[in-house]
Amino acid sequence: MMTGGQSFVSSPPTFSNDGKKLLVCTGFTVSIFSTSTGMKIVELEGGHTDCVTSVIVLPVAMSSSKLMSYCWTSSLDGTICYWDFDSAELINKVNVQLPIHSMVIPNISATGTDKKASNHYAFVSVEDVNISADENKALRGKIQIFNLTNSHRVGGLLAETRNPELLSVSKNGEFLGITNKRKLHIWKIPAKDFRFDEIKKIKLHHTKNLTSLAFHPNMRMLAGGDVTGRILIWIGFGRRKFARNSQIDNGVKDATDDENPGVRGGDDAASCSTWHWHSSAVKFLFFSSDGAYLYSGGKEGVIVVWQLDTGKKKFKPRLGSPLVYFTESPDPSLSCVSCANNRIHILKMPTMEITNSIAGIKLPFPFTVEHKGYRTRVAYEQTNGLVAVLTEDYCVQFYSLFDNHEVSEVQVCKRNFQPVDDVMLYVALVAISDDGSLMGTIDVKLPEESLGELISLKFWMRGSRMAEYSLSTIIYEPHSDAGVSCLAFRPGHGMAVTTSFGGEFKAWVHGSHFKATDQLIQRTGWRCQSVGSYKGKPLSAAAFSADGSVLAIAAETVITLWEPDTNILVAVIGDTHSPITELSFIGKSEYLVSLTHGSKPQLAVWRTSKLGLFWSYKLFAEALSSSRDESQFAVLVLINSPYETNVNEDGVILLFDVENPVPVATWMVKKAKGGSLAFLHANPSFHESEATDGEKPTLLVYVNGDHEYIIFDPHSKDNITCKNTQKSHLNLEEAGRFGYASLYGDLSKSNLKQALVPEITFVPSEKPWETIFSGSSHVLPPLTKLCTTFLASLLEKRPNIDD
Amino acid sequence: MADESKPFFPVESAHHVKPPPARRPHSITPESRFWRSFRHSELASGLILPVTALEFSPVAPFHLAAACSAAVHLFDGASSPALAPLPHSPLTSFSDIAYSPSFRCDGALLAAGGESGLVQVFRLDKAGPPLRRLSAHARPVRLVRYPRLSDKLHLFSGGDDALFAYWDVPSEAQVVSFPGAHRDYIRAGSASPTSPEVIATGSYDHSVKLWDVRVPASSNSVLGFSHGDPVESVLFLPSGGLLATAGGNVVKIWDVIGGGKLIHTMESHNKTVTALCLGRIGNESAGRAGGEPRLLSVSIDGYMKSFDFAAFKITHTMRYPAQLLSVGFSPSGTARVVGTSNGVIYMGTKKKRQEENGTRAVTEFGEYLPEPEKQVLRPTNFRYFHRGKSEKPRDTDYIIERAPKVKLAEHDKLLKKFRHKEALVVALSKKNPTSIVAVMEELVARKKLIKCVANLDVDELELLLGFLHKYATMPRYARFLMNLSKKVLEMRAEDIQSNSNLRGHIRNLKRMVAEEIQIQHSLQEIQGMISPLLVVAGR
Repeated sequence: MMTGGQSFVSSPPTFSNDGKKLLVCTGFTVSIFSTSTGMKIVELEGGHTDCVTSVIVLPVAMSSSKLMSYCWTSSLDGTICYWDFDSAELINKVNVQLPIHSMVIPNISATGTDKKASNHYAFVSVEDVNISADENKALRGKIQIFNLTNSHRVGGLLAETRNPELLSVSKNGEFLGITNKRKLHIWKIPAKDFRFDEIKKIKLHHTKNLTSLAFHPNMRMLAGGDVTGRILIWIGFGRRKFARNSQIDNGVKDATDDENPGVRGGDDAASCSTWHWHSSAVKFLFFSSDGAYLYSGGKEGVIVVWQLDTGKKKFKPRLGSPLVYFTESPDPSLSCVSCANNRIHILKMPTMEITNSIAGIKLPFPFTVEHKGYRTRVAYEQTNGLVAVLTEDYCVQFYSLFDNHEVSEVQVCKRNFQPVDDVMLYVALVAISDDGSLMGTIDVKLPEESLGELISLKFWMRGSRMAEYSLSTIIYEPHSDAGVSCLAFRPGHGMAVTTSFGGEFKAWVHGSHFKATDQLIQRTGWRCQSVGSYKGKPLSAAAFSADGSVLAIAAETVITLWEPDTNILVAVIGDTHSPITELSFIGKSEYLVSLTHGSKPQLAVWRTSKLGLFWSYKLFAEALSSSRDESQFAVLVLINSPYETNVNEDGVILLFDVENPVPVATWMVKKAKGGSLAFLHANPSFHESEATDGEKPTLLVYVNGDHEYIIFDPHSKDNITCKNTQKSHLNLEEAGRFGYASLYGDLSKSNLKQALVPEITFVPSEKPWETIFSGSSHVLPPLTKLCTTFLASLLEKRPNIDD
Repeated sequence: MADESKPFFPVESAHHVKPPPARRPHSITPESRFWRSFRHSELASGLILPVTALEFSPVAPFHLAAACSAAVHLFDGASSPALAPLPHSPLTSFSDIAYSPSFRCDGALLAAGGESGLVQVFRLDKAGPPLRRLSAHARPVRLVRYPRLSDKLHLFSGGDDALFAYWDVPSEAQVVSFPGAHRDYIRAGSASPTSPEVIATGSYDHSVKLWDVRVPASSNSVLGFSHGDPVESVLFLPSGGLLATAGGNVVKIWDVIGGGKLIHTMESHNKTVTALCLGRIGNESAGRAGGEPRLLSVSIDGYMKSFDFAAFKITHTMRYPAQLLSVGFSPSGTARVVGTSNGVIYMGTKKKRQEENGTRAVTEFGEYLPEPEKQVLRPTNFRYFHRGKSEKPRDTDYIIERAPKVKLAEHDKLLKKFRHKEALVVALSKKNPTSIVAVMEELVARKKLIKCVANLDVDELELLLGFLHKYATMPRYARFLMNLSKKVLEMRAEDIQSNSNLRGHIRNLKRMVAEEIQIQHSLQEIQGMISPLLVVAGR
């Protein structure tokens, strides 16, 4: 069993201390990617049983030479885990008992090396599952504090909100904040000697719902974004409340009200200014580490860089998707932005150039309108085990199921993508021929008040590389006004069939077949060979038999069989209760299976030799796949009966043998709505261990509504056959250099001690800074090395008072 | 790694058929540039009768002799810019048609054959009767040649009586003659440029024979091979080892030292190749030494081709509007003449380069003149600030390419800023239908077209109506634009009624729609007529 297709953008990723690794929450696990290659190195698994929501890497203390690779993770299963992510080992586990939606550890940086000595305090935003969501004004979101060292809860609740909110913390761990409707809650956390009753809180008010929040790294400045796209910047927040003497003077507050421009209703801030560029909610705000710039992003898919002093803007456009998170690494030249289409771009910082992308499977995009029965399905490329997914930005993404990474992306419509509410142009269908050499896509342009409607059919040819397709032919309005319902390729022939709701189907052939007969017109494109229709009925599905000799087309409630070459109607089979939505031949057998939706859903198996119904079920089947060799097929059935208790598992996969109406096997699955099934032949390179028994097992892949998938052997008895452990067979530890070394190269191996030993002996004086720079300049170690010694020497050793 | 963010796509009309990628302009080779640098003119156009031969004098000033009708016309090679007739030309002491003029190696005498069978030798410095008359041929003499290699005493002739004779000119006597040298007319011949005693002749009996005039008359030819077609022209190539023969529509190159082996066949002419001559490309001063040699061939099909016999490749082709019979190339490299069957001599001339002046300083005095010292640039000089701007990268340099600037049309820029109406107006004012439709389709995709139309000013509406009037019935855009016109009329009816200009546009639109309906009617009629025929044919 293999799983894959997890979302990379469910929660913000985190860089490791050296900036070479990126820790990404992927479902129940944390995947660690190399930032230089974008490939997965290792996966932290086994700790959590639900989605991981946050990762916090322990920072390196200054004096420590070896890079520490420890991190804390929180999950919806109510646990916090402590990992060594270099060796992917679980070290510790803290139980919180409530689903954690967000976690921060504010004073993690202040703790230094010996973590035993001081306690980590985690602020967690949990969801109280005991309170029902139906209850009016239920405060389900709670912010609690945990001592991670002894795993005890500390103090009471910090805040209660309607929904669990995302916690943000300032860089030095001094402030903690959440957005709560039209307010910002800010807490000041004592850096040393943490005590619950020393936490102080202020509120900042706004007139719109706030969506994001960021703290300035070294000034007392705070930025908040709201749903209308405005960015508010509060300067000097909490001067009064967070003042050191902590004496609240009510009289002063009223007096200073007029002097605080832009600050609303007596909020505790010096000034508040507003910037506005975004047209919709600001999804993230982030101050650059030097504090000179503010990055913001949202649905527009543009990173806006604000210069804080002047308010000037710079843009990084065309990222192809709404943006969700922005993360900075300890290496100032590296940061990453998470896009809503399950892609993390790693940016080279000052120029915002994309150096690498970590691409997950594209998420299904929501349809706002019911589009004439187009069923945006995924298509499968059998030979390489790829899945072709339609994306929102007019692309077809090819994703390797076995390797769990993106292979390529084909741009179907050449149009700049803008995330909008009402989709006017989308890729509606994709079909791939059995050998993967041909691809057909249909993209639909919706009319604006019956103006400018356009459906175009595009045929693509595969290039030299896997999943690399180039456009061969565009056919505008293949069925004039009518929408295209199905596109099927004929196995072994350069032929495709499109069926339309307008009642006709067209057979398209590749022009190279007719080169010899038609010398004058040497076209290599596709052209229509024949047109057919059956009683003017709308046609909804088409399928070719395995050898390509018979074409079956569903005309409302009947199935018509055609000779594809001569376009002659051979036979008409049966009658269903409602229109057929999907058809498939079962392997090489004479059987045909059809799915029917509507009020009387039906799964029916037809026998072509007898031209009659063989057996049928009354089932609402979402997807259908038949194996190529064996006479088996699998259907994905939606369970939508109200008495079903298990809400999570809303689908069943049934595996049938065609001769027998009793299913061979059944599996319960989640998120079945919009899911799909396919039989795949095992990737020989992957199944090295299993290839020993000689036969290649047929695998069944199930892609659920969120494009997560699972691959399993439908015939094996044991549940789990293998894990998707692509153990770092490629060592990704490149000698990447950053910071000082990237600018000036590696430092010479000059040893500090050797360099400082002069020819003549000297007496160590009381003032070591006098001797530290003595010696000729060419033997002096670099300033970076001298600096720490020099500064350390300036500090006087404090006498131990306690003694 | 390259930036993976998406490229910017300019708007494109779905119905706009992209023109095939522009054929890269046929890059002009230096050779073609050389041949095209000749200025074309007609040298003589009043001759009417075919110009059968053109011959340049081997010495400066490279006079040109052209045989046409019963005269040999002489042209002054020294006159500039083009050739001009010599004062005492033409030589007209021919009783019948003159053939094959040939200059002696010093350019002082000219020999020519004639239809009567008489070979006459003229002096060129002044007009007068022929100096010598060589009579042995009974039939027309089409081949008279002085050997080129410093032999002032002899010439050879070949005639339609298949007689090949080698003459001692001063005594008007035949040194050696080969009666029945060929079995058909001898029409072509050439003396070897390395040994003047070796002569090649070509005949209409398809054969090419090599003769050595030092052997007794009774002996046979040294070498013979068959060209395969009646031989029109024979020419030794400068090395003396290769021989080019023209006949039929092929030119063949033979290795005569290697015993008459065929080396190459050039078959790029469509009709009979009539003449060959040697040319040189490159304009190195006085012609003789410089430049690569080329074989020029002309044909009845009107083409002149330049053939590189080192690479066996056609390097240039030129077309003339007549059948070509003869070709000549001045040894100075500045003139190229082509004779046609209708009496026109086409001439291409080239200005002499005056670059000798530069080199003369070195050659005449034999000393090196120091180049004028380069002025040191100072900040007072304007060019100081442009130092190094035109510096080219060296091979070893690591080149960092600047990202190519994306050129965007104005409507694209406006669309990028979501200024939809302005984009539409800009596209309309540019009057390019494909970009207008592209912008409209993009606006539809953004659901903004209706709003844009509603917001148009009267002037802008006028633009739009003008566009619709022109293109609404164009089949490619009709489906979209017809609907749009309807929509515009519905939405802006009040504005249109209140403005006379707009009403005028509407009248135009109406008229055009009526025309279109007319066309559709007639098309339907035609369809009605054809469909029964098709049904009958289908049975």
